[in-house]
Amino acid sequence: MSAWSAVVIVAIVGVMTYSMRAVVIVAMANRAIPPAVERALRSVGPAVLAALAVSLAVGGEGGPNLEIAEAAGLAVASLAAWRTRNLIITLLAGMTTLWLMTWLF
Amino acid sequence: MSAGALIERIDRGAVADSIPLFLPAIPFGFVLGLAATEGEMPALIGWSTSMFIFGGAAQLAVLTLAGTASVWAVVVAGLVINTRHVMYSAAMAPTFQHQPRWMRWIGPYFLIDQVFALSLLRSDRSPAEFRRYYLTVGLFFFVNWQWATALGMVVGPIVPESWQLGFAPAVLFFGLVLIGVNQVPQAVAASVGGAVSLASAGLQDRLGILVGAIAGVIAGTVAELRTDGAE
Repeated sequence: MSAWSAVVIVAIVGVMTYSMRAVVIVAMANRAIPPAVERALRSVGPAVLAALAVSLAVGGEGGPNLEIAEAAGLAVASLAAWRTRNLIITLLAGMTTLWLMTWLF
Repeated sequence: MSAGALIERIDRGAVADSIPLFLPAIPFGFVLGLAATEGEMPALIGWSTSMFIFGGAAQLAVLTLAGTASVWAVVVAGLVINTRHVMYSAAMAPTFQHQPRWMRWIGPYFLIDQVFALSLLRSDRSPAEFRRYYLTVGLFFFVNWQWATALGMVVGPIVPESWQLGFAPAVLFFGLVLIGVNQVPQAVAASVGGAVSLASAGLQDRLGILVGAIAGVIAGTVAELRTDGAE
């Protein structure tokens, strides 16, 4: 990746991120968001994060691919996240499982 | 304003509220710093996302996807993740109506997940008190985020390959999804988004992320409508 492409990416995502945080506060301070739009917006976070998580886990090149150790790591991490709601514990649980499984098999 | 006067303006309660929320961000920042050194993007430009994008999930998406997907796919992925901030903006708008114009322009820069969650609870304070609280929390996260990601860049590359830290972003994102989901429609959105992304993982340019995200939003919105109808 060229430095130029990298700068373009960071600049566009940066300016647009600020714009999305500012849009209602700055421009629409006296108007309410239509309920239908608000309903759709509530699903955006979970849907995007889940799609991204899966894509990162199985990899993009050469079709889906997930090692058993990786699948186990994700399963334990998911369980830890659901039970503890703690990101540090989730990360430790997932990575420890990955290491153990890699070491065992 | 002198440094002493600035320190006096700091809301200590806001700092105390921020610390427990920042602790989980440290390993996240660490993984992000590592992604900046390992990714295809020049490392310093990668690190600059901490300042210019200032949002861990979008930064991580941009850094890990850069070079493996087209420039536009990377941009879209980063932006789609941050669309939830429009919701934060909408939720904070009534409180910000009582703020001076400069605050309405500067404040949104700091409107990340944690700042939103903390300051929404303090929106009943007087405008001046709210402003002090909000800016303290925002600056706290901004300053600490810069060093946490920088530390990841320095320490990350020394970590042996066998630790497989390249897999850590996937684990963190799985965690973020499961911790963030607490209602049925959001669970539907996440499940469908993940499943469709998996089914379309073979697509070029990681288009599967976008396909999965759109499918998830539609499914989640339908689920919301059905839940509303059932009440």
